[in-house]
Amino acid sequence: MQTNNVSSDKELNIAGKLAKIFLHNPLTFVFALFILSLGVIALQMMPKEENPKIAISAGNIIIPAPGLNPQEVQKNIVEPLEKKLREITGIKHIYSTSMNNMAVVNIVYNIGEDREKSNVKLYDKIMQNMDALPANVRKPIVKPFDIDISIPIVTIAFYQKEKKIPYKKFLSTLENMQLAINALNNVSKTALRGDHKEQYNVEVDSNKLNGYHLSLGQISTAIESLALKIPNVDVTTKKNALVIMSVESSIKSIKDIENIIVAEYMGSPVYLKDVAHVSDGVEIQKKQSANIRFADGKQHDLITLEISKLGGTNAVSVSEDIKEYLSHQREYLKSLGIEYKVTRDYGQRASVAVDELGHHILVTVGIIFIMLIVFLGWRESLIVSFTVPAVLAITLFVAYMSGQTINRITLFAFLLSLGILVDAGIIVIENIHRHMHSQEAKDKTLDTIIIEATNETGNPTNIATFAIVLTMIPMVFVGGMMGSFMKPIPLNVPVALIASLFVAYIFVPYLSRKLLKRTKDTQEEI
Amino acid sequence: MSHKNDTNKFENFIYGVLEKKSRKLLIFILIFMAFVGSIMMIVNATVLVKMLPDKSANTFNIYIDTLVGSSIHQTEKVTECVASVLQKNKYVTDIETYLGEGSPLNYAGLVKGSALKKGEQYAEMVVNLTDKKTRAATSFDIVHTLRPKIQERCQPENSAATIRMIEMPAGPPMLAPLVVEVYGKDNQKIVSIAKQVASILAVTDNLVDVNIMANRKYQQYQLAVDTQKVARAGLSVSQVKKILYLGFHGMQVATKNNIDSNYEIPIYLQLSKKSQLLQEDTLESLGLKLSALKLMNKKGLMIPLTEVVHITKTESNPIIYHKDLKTMVYVTAGTDKMSQVYPLLEARKTMIDLFSSNDYIVTPKHEMSTNMFDFELQDRYSGEKYLIHWDGEMKVTLDTFRDLGTAFIAALLLIFVLFVIYYKSFAVSAMILGGSFLSIIGVIVGHWVADLVTINTFYLTATSLIGFIALMGISSRNSLLMIDFAKNLIDSGVEKRRAIAVASATRAKPIILTAIAIILGSALLTSDPVFGGLGVALISGTVVAVIVSLLFIPVLMDNTKSI
Repeated sequence: MQTNNVSSDKELNIAGKLAKIFLHNPLTFVFALFILSLGVIALQMMPKEENPKIAISAGNIIIPAPGLNPQEVQKNIVEPLEKKLREITGIKHIYSTSMNNMAVVNIVYNIGEDREKSNVKLYDKIMQNMDALPANVRKPIVKPFDIDISIPIVTIAFYQKEKKIPYKKFLSTLENMQLAINALNNVSKTALRGDHKEQYNVEVDSNKLNGYHLSLGQISTAIESLALKIPNVDVTTKKNALVIMSVESSIKSIKDIENIIVAEYMGSPVYLKDVAHVSDGVEIQKKQSANIRFADGKQHDLITLEISKLGGTNAVSVSEDIKEYLSHQREYLKSLGIEYKVTRDYGQRASVAVDELGHHILVTVGIIFIMLIVFLGWRESLIVSFTVPAVLAITLFVAYMSGQTINRITLFAFLLSLGILVDAGIIVIENIHRHMHSQEAKDKTLDTIIIEATNETGNPTNIATFAIVLTMIPMVFVGGMMGSFMKPIPLNVPVALIASLFVAYIFVPYLSRKLLKRTKDTQEEI
Repeated sequence: MSHKNDTNKFENFIYGVLEKKSRKLLIFILIFMAFVGSIMMIVNATVLVKMLPDKSANTFNIYIDTLVGSSIHQTEKVTECVASVLQKNKYVTDIETYLGEGSPLNYAGLVKGSALKKGEQYAEMVVNLTDKKTRAATSFDIVHTLRPKIQERCQPENSAATIRMIEMPAGPPMLAPLVVEVYGKDNQKIVSIAKQVASILAVTDNLVDVNIMANRKYQQYQLAVDTQKVARAGLSVSQVKKILYLGFHGMQVATKNNIDSNYEIPIYLQLSKKSQLLQEDTLESLGLKLSALKLMNKKGLMIPLTEVVHITKTESNPIIYHKDLKTMVYVTAGTDKMSQVYPLLEARKTMIDLFSSNDYIVTPKHEMSTNMFDFELQDRYSGEKYLIHWDGEMKVTLDTFRDLGTAFIAALLLIFVLFVIYYKSFAVSAMILGGSFLSIIGVIVGHWVADLVTINTFYLTATSLIGFIALMGISSRNSLLMIDFAKNLIDSGVEKRRAIAVASATRAKPIILTAIAIILGSALLTSDPVFGGLGVALISGTVVAVIVSLLFIPVLMDNTKSI
């Protein structure tokens, strides 16, 4: 056995020292409360999401090339561009599609490349080489890809159950709602899908056109000239005062378009309405549309509102804000015959996942508690059970401080550490328990026993815990999408393990002194 | 006290084992056989390997692609058919259909090009299911039962359309479980090779939703503007082109400001539907339509469009895809409740057989890398070379397992160094490490048992591997605590064998207690579809780790001179 004299610090390892320092300190209790409250704060403050953030940087370059066929696009646009793009560092793959009238080049950066820098690099490279593009090609459209903004966290399907209001009013109601939702906290991008914007359609009948001896070009010019807008014009008087003239817009309503005189035929004017059907409608050239079908067979035209949040913000609170706003609007929408259904809610999924973890932890702690009662006694069991929330609190707080979010994988990391983090506590308490009931410890004080027992397990437990930490750390270096997907594991499990050591050395001895009673055969009181 | 007696019994049992050489040998042989046996389970596919298992969700997507050049109405017809099948399923609450574009972007669509879809040949459907807590079937079971029904009903509607069912990924998103990239110089040639690849994938068991990412040719009409005639007629070429576009596609010619609206209202000019509609898809019909479109020349004369353009029937030019500057066509396939590993191996074998009997010299790449399944084709006659490269989930799996494996070896080295520093002995350190490695027996056997008791296949996944890595640490902790204790006893003068037996018996309790804590702590994990593998790995691995620490480590300790 160890030496009997524990008062000399030299022979104590870190475990024994910690146990000794905190054993009688009244602040230990305050310290425990402090740690627990840090955990609660972190739990409240940490952004919750369903999936962990993956730093994907990517971009699309679209180059319209009217009149070119795929081979021409490939030779004249894509290949020179690809060669230039190769000069950018950090690119993983370059994909390109050469089709009729268009080139699309997608570039994907290595996982973990800084998004903003990558975007700048891409713009820079394209701008530098603008002169290399063929003459008949339009300006390239560069669209950097942003995962936070691109993936909506809430989608709401709006449809007209009864056609009480015209489509125009339906759309403008939604547009106004979109504007209001966009103003909510941490909402970044909102977009409508399946909508058709308002538009005046002039549909020309080619037979009538020929009848009046007109060409399509004349019609186009006639509308253009009527709609022409010019800025204010100013002249000065003799006394140098400014006189401002503004030209009134010639098109005020659909009537003004209908009554455009496109030509004269046999002495009488030909109005636009004579050769074309003019309507106040929606985009007829937009082929995209959407609909929703329900299980009961009903089908409605659909406009979906997509809402994304800012990166690193709480999906749960953003989605709750949106749903609250919607519930206020429900009656109003109903009066217009508009119904809605929330078809995607990542915020709710995140909060369900967090609740599940909480439940899981409670059940697991409960089971371990019961098991320890059977093997060690209820006081010992209570002490070990305390270590779980304490360790989780520290881990959560460290995760919060390092800018992580609560997501599926962080929760997984906690679950993984749950089984392991009670070990240090169990080992210490078991040793204290064993020493207290052993014959050799008959003459020792409770303090000595506790410090000695903690000290005895210290070295091997430290080494073993470091061994587990070491198994986890290399996982940080796993590359690719999968590596960054599971990054929360190597980030959080080691923290939990190291925290479990300190909790086991500080609070387990402290609580043991407070709670444990010596068995009858070793009567001595402290 | 009863457990005191148990402790003594166990101490005597260990001492008894250590005394006889034959008994020690027996333990060695048993452990060795278990180790080889469990490895064999992976090799002969008794335990199946997959990157991540399927995850049940409340929604899934259906991607519909008709041929390039199809109209939106043809695409819509397919979606209507699919929707009618879906509506009959009791778990489906509603179906959103997006025609001509992608659905709101999600994790699955992220790398599948969903956001870039724009065209009449595309449609995406979002199928929303009842909450997974209230239904018995998982989303992948629902997809599994729906897929054949949809194929049977809707494929005849449009035989060229591909209908793909896209499930939410459990891990990071990927293009598809199986991606075969065909590289070569000649676009036409690689498309034909890709078609052969696709036809093999289509008949391979457990592979579904095969799709070639190369559009087939379709018929189109080429209008050639006769510049001579244009000049003589007093027109300009740009005028001809503009009228053509304006008439049939339409153009925004002006805008109107409106205070009631959130944006400017465009004024859009085009020919009426009636004036545009062709009688039929023939050269004559098109000519008739174009002749109705007249242009006015400088003298005010009306000249029909057909006077200055020449119409010919041609075939469309196929789209050319590049990946990293090389011309490529890829074929994707999904898996149906199955790991992609086994169908891949099967399909690859069929492909090599087919291509080598079919004018190609096939040279597989034997290099030890994550491209190990690739092979090269060389045309026997022209000598041209093509590369068949496997990408998708398989590549990601191999990359991940390679990285995890490397991480694992690095972890082993680090631990070894740590132990050597602590014990100042190579033998003891190697002993602990070797012992902890044996927990793989438990991991594999545990998966085999889990597969037997569950309805769906229970895969050995990346999460199982993470569990195994964590187990290494846990297992070595057990051994450490014991060796430390035994060394202390020996230092205080107890005979070596007795000390080992006492240490083993005394340490049995905390070792078993922590093991029970891990087992109970992981018990709830096993029901999770994604983290089930980790739960099983921890539970069964811990059981083996306890046996190894209490039985095998004492034998090893007895045989080393370092203690």
